[in-house]
Amino acid sequence: MKEILRHSNLDLLRELEQLGVIIRPLSVPAELEVYHRWVLGKCEALRKAVVRNLGRLELLRDDILPEILSSTQAVTREFHQFNRWLVSPVLRARESDRLSLKILQWLHFSHPRTRNIPAALSDGDFASWPVPPLPTIYFMPCSAQHGLLYLPIFFHEFGHVLYACHRDEMDQLVRELQEQIGELLLPSVLRDDLQAKREEEKRSIIVETWYEWTQELFCDAAGYTIGGPCFAYAFSMYLCMRGRSQFYVKEKELHRREHPVTWLRVRLLVDRARRQGKEEQARELELHWSTIADAMHVTEDYHGFYEPELRPVVQQTIADMLTEASPVGLENESSESSGIVDVSSPVPLLNEAWTRFRAAPQHYPEWERSAVASLLR
Amino acid sequence: MSTQWLAIQSFQHSQDLLAAINTLAIHIKSKLAGVLDGEPPEAVENARGIIAAFLNDLKTFVEEASEAKPVIGADTRLRQLAKSFLAAKGRRFHSALFRKTLPKPEELLDAKSAEERRTLLESLADLRTLIEEHVQADELRILGDF
Repeated sequence: MKEILRHSNLDLLRELEQLGVIIRPLSVPAELEVYHRWVLGKCEALRKAVVRNLGRLELLRDDILPEILSSTQAVTREFHQFNRWLVSPVLRARESDRLSLKILQWLHFSHPRTRNIPAALSDGDFASWPVPPLPTIYFMPCSAQHGLLYLPIFFHEFGHVLYACHRDEMDQLVRELQEQIGELLLPSVLRDDLQAKREEEKRSIIVETWYEWTQELFCDAAGYTIGGPCFAYAFSMYLCMRGRSQFYVKEKELHRREHPVTWLRVRLLVDRARRQGKEEQARELELHWSTIADAMHVTEDYHGFYEPELRPVVQQTIADMLTEASPVGLENESSESSGIVDVSSPVPLLNEAWTRFRAAPQHYPEWERSAVASLLR
Repeated sequence: MSTQWLAIQSFQHSQDLLAAINTLAIHIKSKLAGVLDGEPPEAVENARGIIAAFLNDLKTFVEEASEAKPVIGADTRLRQLAKSFLAAKGRRFHSALFRKTLPKPEELLDAKSAEERRTLLESLADLRTLIEEHVQADELRILGDF
């Protein structure tokens, strides 16, 4: 066993040294330098963990072999994660990343809890890896990285970082909401038969599912708070043509589904826009989604996972979560807005992009090229 | 928009917990053997703190799960872990941690006598197995299969 562990750790050491040789001399955009330094530091931390395993093997103690085995397996897992995902933002770095990185930098700098968390960009469907204080990796489809229109979706992903930064308070708010949902779903008369037992099981699944749903809805609300209309348009355009599953999901598939059905998310965004007096945008979004649903003959049905009577408690919890997390833009929603304009904010530009695209999509690319060039100058 | 955040947060949480379990276990084994483990005392205390915080959280979720109530205030991975813990109690694992009532973390972790230390080591070994099984699902989601 000792020899197997020694060889495995020496192999990891060799791989880490190889990786260091590749990463160290890389030249990256200025916006990625902090992350580049973090990657080098992480490489060194992994190397130290391997060296510690080798050191423990040299103690020649059989009693701690289970711990050395477990540590070796853990560092191997971490190395594969590092090698596969965390190094790539540096290895794939290109000049065009500057646009996304600039927005992410502004976003992270906009909040005291995220100011010192580096951000990096990788290819993929929109997603994020929010594990503060570790750097946040943001994933974005390749084509979207070159333009302005889908950048507001990062505002949703940033919501996950804010949630993680305020985890204890957020979890408590979600817990209270889950309790309220459980009570609201209780039937007026409690029976004691097989059907009642099945209904209770379903209620339990619904209540549990709302943990993930609440976080996603909070992130949508954070996105809208930060970006306003540009977030709603980006969100809607990105998802509205992805087919029936965005409008309707079978009951069985809803069980412990990690995202609420998109049509429900749009409904709640519409409600949020309406509460902020953005009636025109609210009506437009509502009509957009119901027109597509009508064309597919889809009837709105969330199989009890959402009922209109849940809306007040859900929206109140989201409002409390926004107050707790305090994303940039929240102050503008209140009547006591300071009126101070953040000149470094890219939000006005992103809103202008959507206004221009919606008014004249054929002329948009030309305007976008020039707007991006100005932003990066 | 994917839910990678669930897998990566759970993965990192499990990895941190495993590191803490291994640090504390080596420290206790060294104490029992009467040798130095070379770990700075603050690293051992930090490990103890990570495990205690985890066990305190787990206690609430396991209680809810054992009463057939919904497990609330926890994400799907943590809920799964609470349910795996409950399923393993008294069946697969028999250490103090997995007996009828979850012991108070501070009592379990503050092992002073040789017997208490041995009891703690058994619990840590069972907990490690549970977490190692749990992290596999996150690893699969993050790294895929080969």
